[in-house]
Amino acid sequence: MMKVSVKTLIRYAFLIGAAVVFAFPLYYLIAVSLSSKPHIETGSLIPDMFTKNWNDVISGFGGIGGSGITNSLIISASSVVVSLILGIPAAYAISRHKFMANKHLFFWFLTNRMTPPACLILPYLVMWRAIGIWDTLYGLVMAYMVFNVPISVWLLASFMASIPREIDEAAFIDGYSLARYFRKIFLPLCLPGIGVTSFFVWIYTWSEMFIASIISSVHSKPLTAQLMISLGRVGWGVEYGIASAAGVLTMIPGIALLYWARAYLAKGFTFGRI
Amino acid sequence: MTMLTTGYNLNLWIRFISENSLKLMAARRSAVSKYLILPAVVAVLVVGLVPFLVLINYSVQTPYAEQNVFVAFNNFRKIVSEPRFIDALRRNIIFSATVLSIEIPLGLLLAFLLYEKSKVNAVISTFIIIPALVPPISIGLLWRLLIRTAGPLGQLAALMNLGYDPFKIPSHAYWTIVLMDMWHWTSLITIVTSAGLAGMDRTPVLSARTEGATRWQIFRHVELPAISFPLVFVSLIRLIDSLKIYDEVIILTGGGPGLTNEYISQYLKTIAIDQWIIGIGAAGSLIYNFIVLMLCYLLLIVMTRGRGLI
Repeated sequence: MMKVSVKTLIRYAFLIGAAVVFAFPLYYLIAVSLSSKPHIETGSLIPDMFTKNWNDVISGFGGIGGSGITNSLIISASSVVVSLILGIPAAYAISRHKFMANKHLFFWFLTNRMTPPACLILPYLVMWRAIGIWDTLYGLVMAYMVFNVPISVWLLASFMASIPREIDEAAFIDGYSLARYFRKIFLPLCLPGIGVTSFFVWIYTWSEMFIASIISSVHSKPLTAQLMISLGRVGWGVEYGIASAAGVLTMIPGIALLYWARAYLAKGFTFGRI
Repeated sequence: MTMLTTGYNLNLWIRFISENSLKLMAARRSAVSKYLILPAVVAVLVVGLVPFLVLINYSVQTPYAEQNVFVAFNNFRKIVSEPRFIDALRRNIIFSATVLSIEIPLGLLLAFLLYEKSKVNAVISTFIIIPALVPPISIGLLWRLLIRTAGPLGQLAALMNLGYDPFKIPSHAYWTIVLMDMWHWTSLITIVTSAGLAGMDRTPVLSARTEGATRWQIFRHVELPAISFPLVFVSLIRLIDSLKIYDEVIILTGGGPGLTNEYISQYLKTIAIDQWIIGIGAAGSLIYNFIVLMLCYLLLIVMTRGRGLI
């Protein structure tokens, strides 16, 4: 009996330790975002409730925030819409025609998802300048399609595969057109899949910095790329307070939707393969 | 024809024809639906394939006297004899090996510790995944705040007299990046293997326990084979992602001190964008992408072994 309780004690100590290791840094970021510059230099863990950092981020003073927040929101929302518009029909085709769910198509989509951004920045910079969408929101949304469309297609297909084909056949024999069938029957059935896909597309787009820092400049910099510029110089003169406020902002979507998405995280990170 | 004149048979014919035409229409509808894949394919061709044609085009040219001349594989020869490229590549591979060999056992351990269904476990497993869902650049910022001299970890190291200075000592910077990556991604291994464990049949474990197997034997011979697919899968994803590390490092130390922590993405960005040596940059990008492509192929083999894709 004693042995068991010691074991349980160690177990809980370990788990609580893990929770602290993950919770404390997040608390510290929030604390720094609420501290004035001299206070940050002292390294105190208790913030002095200096709210100017947050005002600066919201108004875009000092180059972080302001339009960056709007840009990030527009880019992420548009990416979700575009990925769903392209992804839902394609995923339907894959889940209904077995010959399409083959490894060649999957491999091709997978390689696009896995392409290192470092290999894409040079072609995108050249191409986007050539067709005049460099430093526009369109350009960013289009560039992110290379990651978002493969994710949305395969994630949605894995959800759609669990909806029986007999439903399609019954609806078509009842005289439903493809469009009406989608609207009335199919989309309501794969709503959870659409939700999870939107979540992951949003998170990936919202988090991306590398490509954005190359193909945007003045008019379309998202929050992450602004953060990068303001912190690019190692050493003096970094406004940690404002940067931390922006950092907290970038973390909000992931944390806010975490509870809702928690059951689907393994699926989302593995393109629906697990 | 005489048969048709009777009312009964006419009804039969009408029913036959209408039913078949409905079935035909239904069949046509499901046949048409296979073309629904086209928009996505076209989109990925434009944003995924065309860039590679551009890269290939640049990789075989070099500017000479205000003109681009064809130099065949010269750029590739130059990039593989460039010490900075080879160093960055080697360093990145060592880094990936380090983080994977730490994160896989640790992630598995956490998955087993969190296996039992309870409220505490649910809260903790939700909490540890947060870093994987926030921008890597914010993780970099967070860790830079933690390790600077006035930050909590910096102060702690000073208190323990470790002589810790990641901005001057390369190995300190390296291990800080490893620690940061562990903090960032260990939970991914945990959640994916947890999903595998949750879907696993417990009967063999119970019977092994009755037979008197030790905890390690149960893990090694019963549980590990059952979760090998998710484990290998997520490890390969982590391997590919760790080869792409950029955001966190650039914020933490800027690849420094000096060039001692410059990873492959950062080097390629420097040469292709900052220095605008596009021929060599494109050649390096193609080599880098080829390595990732091979790993993707390995992932595909793992994934399709003994199971369908959908």
